[in-house]
Amino acid sequence: QLVSALHSLTRHVVYRGLTRAEDILSLFPEDFHQNLKNLLTKIILENISAWRNEAQASQISLPRLVDMDWRVDIKTSSDSISRMAVPTCLLQLKIQEDVVLCGNSPVVSALTVELSKETLDTMLEGLGRIRDQLSAVASK
Amino acid sequence: VSPQQFSALTEVLFHFLTEPKEVERFLTQLSDFATMNKISLGPLKNIVKSILLVPNGALKRNLSSEQVRADFIALGLSEEKASYFAEQWKVNSPTLTRLAVGQTLMINQLIDMEWKFGVTAGSSELEKVGSIFLQLKLVIKKGSQTENVYIELTLPQFYNFLHEMERVKTSLESFS
Repeated sequence: QLVSALHSLTRHVVYRGLTRAEDILSLFPEDFHQNLKNLLTKIILENISAWRNEAQASQISLPRLVDMDWRVDIKTSSDSISRMAVPTCLLQLKIQEDVVLCGNSPVVSALTVELSKETLDTMLEGLGRIRDQLSAVASK
Repeated sequence: VSPQQFSALTEVLFHFLTEPKEVERFLTQLSDFATMNKISLGPLKNIVKSILLVPNGALKRNLSSEQVRADFIALGLSEEKASYFAEQWKVNSPTLTRLAVGQTLMINQLIDMEWKFGVTAGSSELEKVGSIFLQLKLVIKKGSQTENVYIELTLPQFYNFLHEMERVKTSLESFS
């Protein structure tokens, strides 16, 4: 019963985003032991940002990018042409499925994508536009 | 076959080679040529087939126009016609090479990318969140089908991704 009460208390604090000691103190009932109240508040305050970050990390979401690697190859020949020197890029994205659905054993899949130089240029253009839009939003 | 007829035929052939998808047009042009010059279509098709083998083989082995000309002469074509064909070959080879390179095998080719970004307002665990997320949709060609992949990135991940892609671009450019 004690553990469950503590659990509800901390969840409530995290949910509401309470950051001030007074707010947390006011949650305790009137006749609560003073020192214990202060001690608990202190501990909660210390942990609150870690808990919030964890809650955010385990939100439902689309599959998340966890890592990426790339490599540049030069294609020197193929069945349609025997000599050429075409550079191409291989991009490997490690994607983790929805954390909530995976529980304790996250499912990470690796997706390898090939990009030609033109595709890469177009992609960079798109990414640049995202960056501009982001800075426009941030500066508002 | 007279020189003018030959050059008309060569034109038709190269039209087809540079736009291999225009099969209908090629066949129509061939039958027009046959009726105009009173040649029957069957043998014409056979001749065209064997002629087409030469440019395809030339592409595979990166032959120069000199070598193409020599090949044709070896096949029994007159010097004049062989030179004409070789000239046409030289003119068209950049396009044809580019087409051949374009047909080269590509694994999981990225075709398209869409994105949206927004702000997470709240969740069941946190009443007010206010964090920015970026969602990417990548369209990938797997064999003959396309597959959509959806990914979410945080802002720091996005900036890292952008940085890495710029490094890839520098690397690709130094090789071409």
